[in-house]
Amino acid sequence: MPVPWEALIPFGLLTSMFAAAGTLLNVSKRAQNQGKPVRYHIDSWDEMMMDRDRRLTGHLRGQSSNPVPPEGFETSSAWYTEATS
Amino acid sequence: MSGFRDSASGSQPYKDPTPLPDSVPRVQELGVTSAPLKSAAFFIGAYCKEYNEDFMLCKNEGRGDPGQCLKEGRRVTRCATDLINKMRENCLEQFDAHWNCLELNNQEYYACRKPERTLNKCMFEKLGLTKTVPGTPVGKKQIHEVENPIYTTVQR
Repeated sequence: MPVPWEALIPFGLLTSMFAAAGTLLNVSKRAQNQGKPVRYHIDSWDEMMMDRDRRLTGHLRGQSSNPVPPEGFETSSAWYTEATS
Repeated sequence: MSGFRDSASGSQPYKDPTPLPDSVPRVQELGVTSAPLKSAAFFIGAYCKEYNEDFMLCKNEGRGDPGQCLKEGRRVTRCATDLINKMRENCLEQFDAHWNCLELNNQEYYACRKPERTLNKCMFEKLGLTKTVPGTPVGKKQIHEVENPIYTTVQR
């Protein structure tokens, strides 16, 4: 008896659409984070440290263990212009 | 956090229009980013304890004036830079392994115990520094020394 395989095409389409969307989202998130998983549960301290990382390396997720900072690091902080209260 | 950014020079990075005057002695700022700092945090606490406590006590009695504690702040920066240099000299691979692991795990300590153990061992052998968590209850093991912790990366 012939199996009605054409009826399974929509299921295959749905599965592949979900898989493609999920993969694309994951790849996009990782590409925005330099190949690392996304950071979650970020509080103000983490935001401040990530801003400091951006001033040091150019990217929010960039890391370096070099104790010597790049030129202009000492004057690139916008902290003084933040509102105090 | 609200802030005022002068929109006239939006293409360049922000440059402080009022830097410190030349009468204030200069110190080389620490260029280490967040993950290596988090990895070295307890060792900075062990190595630079006096300078850190000095600075915090000075800030406590200063009542918000940033100009009062500049000297203690310079000492803190110099001590931390000194320790980072020593760590990189002696334990570079373990240090790099640990902070790379932290970066892949949302900078959570509990996810990176294995590289942390090798780093602690290396730091103890080469520099004599141990990691102690200050708030542990007396009689309980330090959380990084517990063999079967409750909170791991895998949900139980």
